[in-house]
Amino acid sequence: MNRLIMFHGRECPHCKKMMPLVDKMIEEEEVELEKLEVWHNEKNADAMRSYRDIITPKCGGQLRVPSFLNTETKDVFCGEVEYEELVDWAKR
Amino acid sequence: MKKYWRCHVCNDIHFGTKSPKICPTCLQGNAYVEVSSCEALNVMSVTESHVDKDAFAKAIQVFAAAGEFQINPDQERVALLLEGMFNNENNHGLKYCPCRMIEKDFEKDLTLVCPCNFLTHDSYKDKENGECWCGLFKKRRHHE
Ligand code: SF4
Repeated sequence: MNRLIMFHGRECPHCKKMMPLVDKMIEEEEVELEKLEVWHNEKNADAMRSYRDIITPKCGGQLRVPSFLNTETKDVFCGEVEYEELVDWAKR
Repeated sequence: MKKYWRCHVCNDIHFGTKSPKICPTCLQGNAYVEVSSCEALNVMSVTESHVDKDAFAKAIQVFAAAGEFQINPDQERVALLLEGMFNNENNHGLKYCPCRMIEKDFEKDLTLVCPCNFLTHDSYKDKENGECWCGLFKKRRHHE
């Protein structure tokens, strides 16, 4: 089954900007998505690092936050996008 | 490989592949001798220095004033980023970029210490309104 994850950092402005859009999508589109904070939770940081080979090629060779990952299809993007693009990613 | 060098006149410490031709502190020429990391650390420990959030905020102002970029005028954004960096320093040892994640590969992770080399970032380079990946530093426009 598809598992959607948002890796985010508590003090990251891009994440702060995306968070209300993510919450809106979860509510309005009935999308299931896990939000994992990585700078204050080592388990979540390790989880993000375990997807290094999938995330970094799509994110300028780095682990950037926010990173949005579909664990099944390996569909990844990072940074800020418009709401429509976010929903489009979650539903494809 | 980078090595440690000590000025034999004023004990200035340099960490780099080559020794400086002239000591930037006492201006003596041909002044440096290669030393061990242990000696370098011992010499440097004479001066204790704490750079807290306010001091760091001033330090990056000075840094930006000499560059082609400025600190983002959005103070809330800057405060959030400083908070993140200092939390990262407390929890993870260095002021790592709050908008990225360390990989536990120390040499690679050193490229994430703020200020990083953002002049090469895809969000900065060749962009008219370029900014570092977090938006802490913004390219200064000519009229600014
Ligand atoms: S992207 Fe900006 S905030 Fe992040 S480390 Fe580099 S200079 Fe600092």
